[in-house]
Amino acid sequence: MISRKIALAGFTAALLLPALALAQQVSEQRIINGLGKLQGAAPIVDVELLRQEAMNGSGKQMSGLPNWSKVARLPQMVVEIDFANDSVAIEPESYRTLGMIADALHHPNLWAYKFLVVGHTSSTGTDQHNLDLSQQRADAIKEILSTTFAVDPSRLYAVGVGEYFPIEGSKSEAANNRRVQLYNLGVFTRKP
Amino acid sequence: MRGVWRLTGAAAIVVIAWAGAAKADTISYADAITVLAKDCGADIKKLCKGLNLGNNRIADCLAQNAGKVSPTCTSTLASVAASIQKREQAQTTYSKVCATDMARRCNGVVGDGYILACLAKKQKTISAQCNQTISDAGWR
Repeated sequence: MISRKIALAGFTAALLLPALALAQQVSEQRIINGLGKLQGAAPIVDVELLRQEAMNGSGKQMSGLPNWSKVARLPQMVVEIDFANDSVAIEPESYRTLGMIADALHHPNLWAYKFLVVGHTSSTGTDQHNLDLSQQRADAIKEILSTTFAVDPSRLYAVGVGEYFPIEGSKSEAANNRRVQLYNLGVFTRKP
Repeated sequence: MRGVWRLTGAAAIVVIAWAGAAKADTISYADAITVLAKDCGADIKKLCKGLNLGNNRIADCLAQNAGKVSPTCTSTLASVAASIQKREQAQTTYSKVCATDMARRCNGVVGDGYILACLAKKQKTISAQCNQTISDAGWR
C-alpha cells in the first residue's frame, strides 16, 4: 500500500485555466500528489454500473447516484484537454497535459494504482450525442495513455458522462468542453 | 521499443546519426510530447486533422506525408526518441538495478513510493548505478 501523506492544496483550482497557462500550472508532481493521497482501501467501483448510471441518471447530481457517490470520495484531479469541436481529436496544445499524466502514472508513487478517466462534454447537442462523445473522448485518452505513453491498459478505465455532472468550481461556459477527471480507483492487482 | 517512440518511424532513420551523436539526457513524456507539439503541431493540424495520438495514428500520418512534413518536425521526432528511450529503460530496470541498495539501505520500508523516497534520501550511500537509474528515470 503506497499512500503518501502529502498535503495538497487547491490542485483543482489551478487546473481551470486556459490551455497554455495550464501547461505550466499542472505539473507531474501535482498529479502524483493529487492522485496519490488515497487513504485506506478504495471502495469497489464497477465501471459498467457507472456507465449505466450516467446513462439513466439524466439531470441528477453525481452525489445523488449510488455508485457515483462512491467515486466522488476518491482522490481525483481535474485536467483540461482541448478537443477539436465535436470531435475526439485532441489539439496538440494539450499533448503536454497528457504527457504529464503519463509521467505521473509511471512514477513509483502511483504505479500500483488503477485509474478512472471520466470524460465530459458541453451541453450543446442531444443528451445521447453528448454521452457518446464523452465516452469516445474518455476512450481516446485511455488509448493515448496506453499506446503512445505505454501505461498498462489494464490499469485504466474510461467512462463518459456527457453534460450531466458539472464539476464544482469550474467556469462551465469556458471549461465544460474539455474537462477530464482522473480518479484513483485503488490498488491494481494484476490478473493471475 | 515502445510508446511514443514508435511514433518516430521512418523519420528516425533519417536523422539517427545526428540523434546518436547527441548526448541524450533523459526526457519526460511531458517534455518530449511538448517539443513534438511545438515543432510538429502545425504539420499535425495541417496534414493530420482529426487524428489522435493514440495507436500511432499521428506518427503514421506524418510518415505517410513525409514529403510535406517540415524538416524541424522530422528531426525533432528523432532526437526526442533517443532520450525518451533511455528514460523508459531506466524506469524498467530500476527495480533490478536498485535491488541491492533497497535491501541494504531501505530494508523494512514498505511501498514503492516510500522505497524510492528512502533511496533518494540516502543518495550518498547508494550505488552509482542505482543513483544514475533514478536520475535517468526522472524521479528526482
